[in-house]
Amino acid sequence: MEAYIVAGYRSAIAKSKRGGFKNYRSDDLAVDVIKHLISTVPELDPTIIDDVIVGCANPEGEQGLQIGRLISARALGKEVPGVTVNRYCGSGLETIAIASAKIKAGMGEAFIAGGTESMSLIPMTGYKLSPSYNAAMENINYHVGMGATAEAVAVKYEVSRAQADEFAYNSHVKAAAAIDAGKFNDQIVPVTVKEVFVKDGKRTESEHTVAMDEGVRRSTTVEALSGLRAVFKNGGVVTAGNSSQTSDGAAFVLVVSERLVKELNLTPIARLVTCALGGVDPLYMGIGPCAAVPKALKQAGLNQSDIQQVELNEAFATQALAVIKTLDLDPNIVNVNGGAIALGHPLGCTGAKLSIQLLEEMKLRNQKYGMVTACIGGGQGIAGIFEKL
Amino acid sequence: MKKKIKKVAVLGSGVMGSGIAAHFANIGLETVLLDIVPFNLTDEQKADKTARNSIVNGALKAATKARPAAFYDKSFVSRITTGNFDDNLDLIADADWIIEVIIEKLDIKRGLFEKVEAIRKPGSYVTSNTSSIPIHLLVEGRSDDFKKHFCGTHFFNPPRYLRLFEVIPHETSDPAMIDFFLEYGDKFLGKDTVLCKDTPAFIANRIGVMSGLKVFQLTDKYDLKIEEVDALTGPIINRPKTGSFRLQDLVGLDTAMKVNDFVVSACQDDEYISTLKDLETPKYMQFLIDNKFFGNKSKQGFYKRVKDENGKKSTLALNLKTLEYEPAIKPRMDSIGAARKIELTDKKLQTLIDHEDKGGQFLNEYFASLFAYSSNRVPEIADDIYSVDDAMAAGYAWDYGPFQYWDFIGVEKGIQIAEAHGNTVAQWVKDMVAAGNTSFYKTEDGQTKYYNIGSKSYQVVPGTEAFIILDNIRDKKPVFQNSECLVHDIGDGVLNFEFRSKANAIGTEMGQGLAETIRIAEEEGWNGIVIGNNAKNFSVGANLMNVGMLAMQKDFDTLGTMVDQFQQLTMRMRYSSIPVVVATQGYVFGGACEMLMHADAGAVAAESYIGLVEVGVGLIPGGSGTKEMAVRASDKFFEGDVEMPTLIDHFKPIATASVATSGHEAYGYNLMLKNKDEVIVNAKRNIAEAKKKVLALADGYMQPRFRKDVKVLGRAGLATLYTAINEFKLGNYMSEYDVEIARKVAYVMCGGDLTSAQQVDEQYLLDLEREAFLSLLGNQKTMDRIQHMLTTNKPLRN
Repeated sequence: MEAYIVAGYRSAIAKSKRGGFKNYRSDDLAVDVIKHLISTVPELDPTIIDDVIVGCANPEGEQGLQIGRLISARALGKEVPGVTVNRYCGSGLETIAIASAKIKAGMGEAFIAGGTESMSLIPMTGYKLSPSYNAAMENINYHVGMGATAEAVAVKYEVSRAQADEFAYNSHVKAAAAIDAGKFNDQIVPVTVKEVFVKDGKRTESEHTVAMDEGVRRSTTVEALSGLRAVFKNGGVVTAGNSSQTSDGAAFVLVVSERLVKELNLTPIARLVTCALGGVDPLYMGIGPCAAVPKALKQAGLNQSDIQQVELNEAFATQALAVIKTLDLDPNIVNVNGGAIALGHPLGCTGAKLSIQLLEEMKLRNQKYGMVTACIGGGQGIAGIFEKL
Repeated sequence: MKKKIKKVAVLGSGVMGSGIAAHFANIGLETVLLDIVPFNLTDEQKADKTARNSIVNGALKAATKARPAAFYDKSFVSRITTGNFDDNLDLIADADWIIEVIIEKLDIKRGLFEKVEAIRKPGSYVTSNTSSIPIHLLVEGRSDDFKKHFCGTHFFNPPRYLRLFEVIPHETSDPAMIDFFLEYGDKFLGKDTVLCKDTPAFIANRIGVMSGLKVFQLTDKYDLKIEEVDALTGPIINRPKTGSFRLQDLVGLDTAMKVNDFVVSACQDDEYISTLKDLETPKYMQFLIDNKFFGNKSKQGFYKRVKDENGKKSTLALNLKTLEYEPAIKPRMDSIGAARKIELTDKKLQTLIDHEDKGGQFLNEYFASLFAYSSNRVPEIADDIYSVDDAMAAGYAWDYGPFQYWDFIGVEKGIQIAEAHGNTVAQWVKDMVAAGNTSFYKTEDGQTKYYNIGSKSYQVVPGTEAFIILDNIRDKKPVFQNSECLVHDIGDGVLNFEFRSKANAIGTEMGQGLAETIRIAEEEGWNGIVIGNNAKNFSVGANLMNVGMLAMQKDFDTLGTMVDQFQQLTMRMRYSSIPVVVATQGYVFGGACEMLMHADAGAVAAESYIGLVEVGVGLIPGGSGTKEMAVRASDKFFEGDVEMPTLIDHFKPIATASVATSGHEAYGYNLMLKNKDEVIVNAKRNIAEAKKKVLALADGYMQPRFRKDVKVLGRAGLATLYTAINEFKLGNYMSEYDVEIARKVAYVMCGGDLTSAQQVDEQYLLDLEREAFLSLLGNQKTMDRIQHMLTTNKPLRN
């Protein structure tokens, strides 16, 4: 039986450690988004939802203790189960694939799938960096840091500093234009954060609402970007300016069976045609989409030219450029509203966030096939192909 | 009641003002830093606090980035509150000390003092850092209370590093305040504090200007190149290697000229300056000023650094006659060659001034003029000779002041050369000699005494009672000595163990000497031991030459014994029945750092530069230092701790050969411990402070127990550290061989490839440390690094 996406929403993507969600837990944020999502489909009784599949890249600390289950119970009621899924930066897309596949396999009819991540609260490497000794002795690069992979990709695929900076600049320009055109307004759930702090020695309550992505730097220029220091390698090309921003955010979609669509008279938005994964050398993790995209196209029985729009997660400009070059993607259809360099990359949330963004833009442009793809730490790539209905 | 300074206000945030504020923050004071509101604000900006404070905040930001660092620790900047004169002058109302460091214009300074007077609390001290305005002019029009509590307090740039602090009373300054500043400067600011008179440029710049101008004149007269003059006026005469012309480039010619011009205009009556008024500015000086070639800050001055097309850097020097820049030469002069062979300072200086080559003649006339001029400035600028000498040593980083140089050369000889060059020596010097006194200084009863021209007798230099100056107790019979160390009784049952080797390097004899000293202290019932010396640098670590030679000969048995002995020595320091306290200053590298780490306490001068730097020569700390870092990490672990960040934090200082650039910073590198080691602001006090610590510890001293409970993380830790090392390698921050060495450090600190975390004893870790050390010595790349260090004094990255 076919599975359809009937609704999808996300929070604004806030800057980690400095932004609107810097003190807001990612489980709370996910609950806010899911409550809104479900309220937009009043025909559906929330308690019949079979599972809430929550992508999260660092499910420990504030995101530990079964964050998926906690979110499902708080957002939809204790009858609704929840699970945490970790495919690192591919998590948010992976969950949509799991939901779709389960419906197709007859293992349920209604799922909420997506991801949430607070990079403000959980350190990038988790609280206890504990690589495997045996793995480290076999290949030290199993646990390589992401920045180092971006530098390795730049060398191998001959991406220059100037190219990376220009790519980063364009990401900001496109993102600013998209925000100004109001393109994200309908997909973002404004979230109000209440805080208590001591100000001037007194307990002080305050609140603020985060309603728009925070990462765009409108005043940046290629010159400003070219003045930044390489952060991961002595004499390298990867800077804070041409890397994705660390962020906080949550994004979820509702996936239901064909039968439920008919029974409840719902309007499907799109379907996930297929989703594929591939593995690459962990040292060149950024090139991961090159292993996943051809597989996905083959599974879908489509040609690359059938894909009208691509959301390629900009983990790093070097990596994005290497993927575009290697796959020979048309740069004009990639990240038309900017990418993670400008808008942020909340790890486990990103796949779902990009899917929602893609579907909205496909609706505007009246396109049929679109793709979300991302590289994944540890040396993987994920690619999901959507058909807009 | 004794005055306390709790809060200090610095008015003016230029390079000096912000540097002074930083130093106040360094010593822990609540500090206010104010400056003007920018003149050119728009109406909108005028209402904006950020814009109004942009000058002071910009200056403070620059101070946090200054190199060398203005702050002992960058976190100390939070001790400074900023503001502007228009909105925030009320912040000075409760300040105990207000110091003015604004533009050198009398009317503007007076205007500010008028405002200060309206706000300051009565009794608070107000001082000026002026270098060119007479102090008495600044207080005209102020109240009696203001005048009474006002004086000059003059720092030198950069305030953290330049040791001189001049205190200048005016006629009605409260003597109690002057005494206060003389003590405060020494004890709290860590400065060599000198009492000056209200004469132009005070002491250091007055003599310094004369010295500089004389060097210019003599350069012309003896037809010398600037490289030659820098060689003659640098380390060969115990002065900084910047010599004379490089110093001008460093200070900035424009700045130097301002000071020169001021002294020349203000001192028309003095016997030297008065001879200058008809002289033209040398044409090279005009050339440099016209072209704004002010020195380092304008990328060229007397010298210029250039890069050829291959990126190779070289230095050009200005030819003073042709005004062309030419490749700098390495000066060869017979006088310098002869002097280099002589170790004793007096013989060396005598050889130099007696040499018949141009260099010898130059120095002969230079010192002749310096001596005469300095003698005539007492009592004009200072009542006592030690003030002049202290000021030059501290303000210009000369090892010796004029009268100390004069003592080395001989008082009578000095008079003779001065007069031979047509100078007049002050009568008091002649009287001193006539009365049978043959030197300006002498040592008696362990104390330095100076010739007091008032009483015509020798008196103890005031303020030095609190210092332990080892040179002064040399005539006492040592408790123990060998070729590398000297052990003296420094009173109250405390021994001082002094390094006496070249660069204070730690060799076999020194190790044996320390072991013997500990035995003597234990068996003869001494209270404890201070390990300290008065050298510029505490010690650069183990004697590398010795280690390198043995490794070259592949004598691993001897090396093994040597490493074992050094490990046992540091362990003995910790596990002896008497307290051992280390007093450091300057470089505290490698083995010296390991000694500090194993002492019962450290009295660490703020200006100590501490690091386990062995990786730079292809080794790991092999005198228990690597072991000790593992112990320190283990001591920080707690129930439920994730431990890895702590392990990495203790691993990094060794693996990256980090050097802490102040005592305070060394806490952050885990090289010092807060509950054991203390930072002493004034390096000259560190041995005395260390002695106090020995005495405090000796009362009821309990020998520590050998540790059997060191938690090491085994494979889990290794995987983490290997992964971290890989990041350094991928980022081009480590070479392949750096990785190999860093992995050895990791191996020792994790207790090897143990299956899981467990407790081990110190000896197990010491065995791992020794094995790793010896295995690296068997590697040619380590040999190359050692050789490179020995020949070039710089680390090799291979």
